[in-house]
Amino acid sequence: MAGSEGFVEADNAEAIITRIEHKTLKIETLLKQFKPVEALKTALEGTYAMTSDERCKSAHWIVVHRAIMAIKDVDGMLSSLDPEYYDILMKYLYRGLSTGDRPTCDQCLRIHEKLTERAGHGCILRFLTDTVNTV
Amino acid sequence: MAVTSIHPFAQCITCHAWSPDQSMVAFCPNNNEAHIYRLVEDKWEKVHVLQKHDQVISGIDWSARSNRIVTASHDRNSYVWNLEGSEWVPTLVILRLNRAALCVQWSPKENKFAVGSGAKTVCICYYEQENNWWVSKLIRKRHDSSVTSVSWHPNNILLATTSTDGKCRVFSTFIKGVDAKDSKKSTSSDLKFGELIVQLDLSSSWTFGVKWSPSGNTLAYVGHNSMIYFVDDVGPSPLAQNVVFRDLPLRDVLFVSEKTVIGVGFDCNPMVFTADERGVWGFVRYLGERKIVSSGSRYGSQFSEAFGKFYGQSKQGGSNDAVETSRTRGAVHDNCINSIMPLGERGILTKRFSTSGLDGKIVLWDLENEHDLLEL
Repeated sequence: MAGSEGFVEADNAEAIITRIEHKTLKIETLLKQFKPVEALKTALEGTYAMTSDERCKSAHWIVVHRAIMAIKDVDGMLSSLDPEYYDILMKYLYRGLSTGDRPTCDQCLRIHEKLTERAGHGCILRFLTDTVNTV
Repeated sequence: MAVTSIHPFAQCITCHAWSPDQSMVAFCPNNNEAHIYRLVEDKWEKVHVLQKHDQVISGIDWSARSNRIVTASHDRNSYVWNLEGSEWVPTLVILRLNRAALCVQWSPKENKFAVGSGAKTVCICYYEQENNWWVSKLIRKRHDSSVTSVSWHPNNILLATTSTDGKCRVFSTFIKGVDAKDSKKSTSSDLKFGELIVQLDLSSSWTFGVKWSPSGNTLAYVGHNSMIYFVDDVGPSPLAQNVVFRDLPLRDVLFVSEKTVIGVGFDCNPMVFTADERGVWGFVRYLGERKIVSSGSRYGSQFSEAFGKFYGQSKQGGSNDAVETSRTRGAVHDNCINSIMPLGERGILTKRFSTSGLDGKIVLWDLENEHDLLEL
């Protein structure tokens, strides 16, 4: 029983990785067209269906990281980003901050400030308290 | 503004409750006593001190018809207080807990009361005439963590609980000999004691402050993740909604009508939530003063304000104005609000209510002049 479940999980993970690869291509195209906000939206989409699989999480983070780093106009980005993405973006910002990488942290902090202004402390609270759907 | 009066009673208030005619208020000033104050010619006068518990009283409830007070404390016991002559006489209720009692509420018929505890159990207590004794019956092995709040359905049988395991549950508390079988609709009295009706797993963090709407059709509770949950059709297939809000989490809620909920909590300012004609819940506004809109330069000053507050507190009150943060300036409470109680006639619509919190104030509110809210 446990074996078959493990198999399904692995199968699932493969499927997700494939989807993430497709996503990466799409994001690269969007970035080339100077559409960083569209790229970020694409990156954040579907992250709700996250598995507990660490490999998938890392793959997803690489995609989101790529999109986050391409953002120049933070205010403009947040204006055109749907509020439903705020919570998930906050989660990725904290993941970015946890890397300790200087440019990543700089960018994440910059977005974090603006995002907190918009989405409030509630958004941070939802990141802190959610121990199930981590990114 | 909806505030009618502010009464600073103590350093900190853990819980409060009103006498049936609302001339007296009982509260715990964060110690092992419950104080009862009466309003005499516009001045609050301390009339009784209920002194029997060994540790902090965490819950208090005053029954509306039978005029009895029940207290629950971290010392793992409850007392039922009866007014005999001019003295409040306590009766010990042995809850059979090995952890603190955290909350208490009388059932609508006032023949039972429920205590939530840190022992992952709920006690349903009822009076046994022949032994002159309050018996505690436990609902065990249903909660995975502390029970933070309990709420009775108007039918006197169903009990909703919230817990730090993130779930909200509804139980049957039917007790043979206490609850009459024929007086209720067959659905609720067929259920055995302790039967789990529904378990709502909507929050990934602690949950608090569960309440039923006046009709018992809707259930509301809050999560520690700055979300509030509304559940309709509580039963096999519940309809749940969650509302995200931008500020700090809530601790307690109150239905002022079927479609309006007041939430209080760490944001020190009551929030109003309403359901529109389609039944979709949403945040409307704050009840206290409007907050100062955040500006870009706010973050730097917030730290120094917090720092100032930290040092200001050692002076215990005094000139508090200088150290109040911009977030709470102009607000009525200046610390977390942990309890909200209805006032006036209990009916379909509650216009008046009171809040108490860690700042030791009891604040009375009236929605009479809040026309935008009463129209809903």
